[in-house]
Amino acid sequence: MMDLVKFMRMEMNDQVDNKEIYISGAPACPGIVIGNTSLYQRVRPHISDTQIADDEVEDHIHKFYEALDIAEEELRALSDNTDLKASTDLIQMQIAILKDPELHDRVEQEISANNKPVDSAVESIFRNYLQVIRRNHRDEFQNKSVDISDIRDRLLQIIHDKRDDIEEGTILVARELSPREIISFSNRDIKGLITDRGGATSHAAIIARSMNIPTVVGAKKATEVINSGDEVVLDGRNGEVVVYPKNETRKKYESLIAQQSKKKADFESLCQKPNKTSDGTPFTLQANIEFAEELSIANKYQAEGVGLLRTESIYLSSKDFQNIDHQVAFYASILELTAPHQVTIRLFDVGGDKFFGDEEKEQNPFLGWRGIRMLLEQPKLLKNQLRAIYKTSGDFIGRIRILVPMISTINEIRKLKNIIGEVKKELLSEGVDIDKEIPLGLMVEVPSVALKADLFARHADFLSIGTNDLTQYTLAVDRGNERISNLYDQRHPAIWQLINGVAEAGKRNEAPVSVCGELASDPISACCLMGLGIDTLSMNAVVLPSVKQLLRENSYADMQQLAGKVLQAETLDDINNIFSNWETK
Amino acid sequence: MIKKKVTIVNDAGLHARPAAALVKLASKFESDFYIHLYGYKVNGKSILGVMTLAAEKGAELELELDGPDEEEATEAITELIDDGFGEVYEDGDE
Repeated sequence: MMDLVKFMRMEMNDQVDNKEIYISGAPACPGIVIGNTSLYQRVRPHISDTQIADDEVEDHIHKFYEALDIAEEELRALSDNTDLKASTDLIQMQIAILKDPELHDRVEQEISANNKPVDSAVESIFRNYLQVIRRNHRDEFQNKSVDISDIRDRLLQIIHDKRDDIEEGTILVARELSPREIISFSNRDIKGLITDRGGATSHAAIIARSMNIPTVVGAKKATEVINSGDEVVLDGRNGEVVVYPKNETRKKYESLIAQQSKKKADFESLCQKPNKTSDGTPFTLQANIEFAEELSIANKYQAEGVGLLRTESIYLSSKDFQNIDHQVAFYASILELTAPHQVTIRLFDVGGDKFFGDEEKEQNPFLGWRGIRMLLEQPKLLKNQLRAIYKTSGDFIGRIRILVPMISTINEIRKLKNIIGEVKKELLSEGVDIDKEIPLGLMVEVPSVALKADLFARHADFLSIGTNDLTQYTLAVDRGNERISNLYDQRHPAIWQLINGVAEAGKRNEAPVSVCGELASDPISACCLMGLGIDTLSMNAVVLPSVKQLLRENSYADMQQLAGKVLQAETLDDINNIFSNWETK
Repeated sequence: MIKKKVTIVNDAGLHARPAAALVKLASKFESDFYIHLYGYKVNGKSILGVMTLAAEKGAELELELDGPDEEEATEAITELIDDGFGEVYEDGDE
């Protein structure tokens, strides 16, 4: 029947010749897919309002316990599938609800004493609980009541033996998806995900990435425009969705997919090969990450540790991150998953706008109170983070490095070192095991630091060049301003000159230099960085294979020659010419 | 039967995770376990019941335990609550 309907719709599509529609959202997991869609809705089955006969009571009670068993089994399967702390907590709470003895008694009572059918009994008992919980709790608990209604809905679906309308092998379109829902798709062969709501850094998006399902989120009207069974193209690289693609559009994407799948196969064998240039010079590729889930891709692509662990969103998204033990658990989980490599933890890097309201808004936040400037004036926040890092270090001696954002004066380093000294002393006097030799590194993102790199290198154990902000500050271009975004290019000759200065200063002062900005994820720029003597690059793990490929295909001697030419270049056009000549050589 | 008063000390109160921990611990004992607060009485082995309490930091609960292992149960449960369910916030200032 369903197939017939689909067939008829396809016929109609051909006749009416639907116009191609482009929808754009935020790219959440790269990859291109073409396929038919399933519209995913959270099903709330119709609840029966009849009464059951006395001899049906037994049967309905039995159905209730059966549904509890099935739901619990599903949740246990999910929890085996995730290392995610937050998901495990959620799953444990939902399992505890299924095992709640009082819930069992009440539902049984409702069925046997009031002759209610099982679905209506479950519905009304949960309604009672939710009413009391919502009345007694402050607003923030509302989130949890969503998890309670989620498990109720699942029970009702099981009782009605209702499967969601997901067809295997389709692209799912939904208003929004909970992390639990996405994890539950893992064995359903879902080709892609499109949601109306959500951002690329939402928890759901991160889980989609860790499962490697091409995903576009925040595609506002996707559920209104797309019908079940429509053909769509989903491009998870740039967040584009094409509904009713024209023949030529489909062909274009089909050839892209063919290219990509060939690349992907090549990547997997490539990643097993050693990190060496064609003439045998070794290099190190690391991952920039923010969440433990991102390590599944990083590990698949054989990243050698984490060159940049961002700590902002965990701080901002989770109130209980103020709790040192939770921070320790987070750092430890990253270190466990990256053994035996190093993890570079960047101290909390946000602006004051995250703490204060609009009235304190700065005119130029990027030139304002942020990074280390803010941390030194928020000693509690800074000390908490340092305590957590040092507490973690005892179990992972020699594997942690600390990276300081937005350094612009030597005085800031002195102050920070004093505070680190205090924290170490406190922990040692409390008898806590710590790594006493954690290297302290500086982000090179302010041009004055790059220009005085010798001075800063003497005060640091290592330097990490953040090309994103360095470019923005050097070229005086706000990268978020669309009118001037054409002026923003990390390959600018001035940036290469600064990077070269930092690389040389690092060598003179025995401070290793690495790059963690976007420039490192551009394969040819990566070769040029290598040519300047920077052999450690950190990037979004997704691009790691393409960088590795180009580095392996070329010789270190050629890269040095390339770097020499780039340093002679006068304009951005010169650089682009040098690069395209080098690539086609 | 034992009755005992305890105070919630962790900042976030008896929210979902602590409630799950409390119920899990209580369920290991045979004794019946009830919690009294603000005139409510809930089954301490029922997570939904415990969550309806909305006990915040500073709330004084009265535990009621009745059964063969009531003493061990009281001790274990009191310890969990006094420890803030392992969630007591440290003060990093000094």
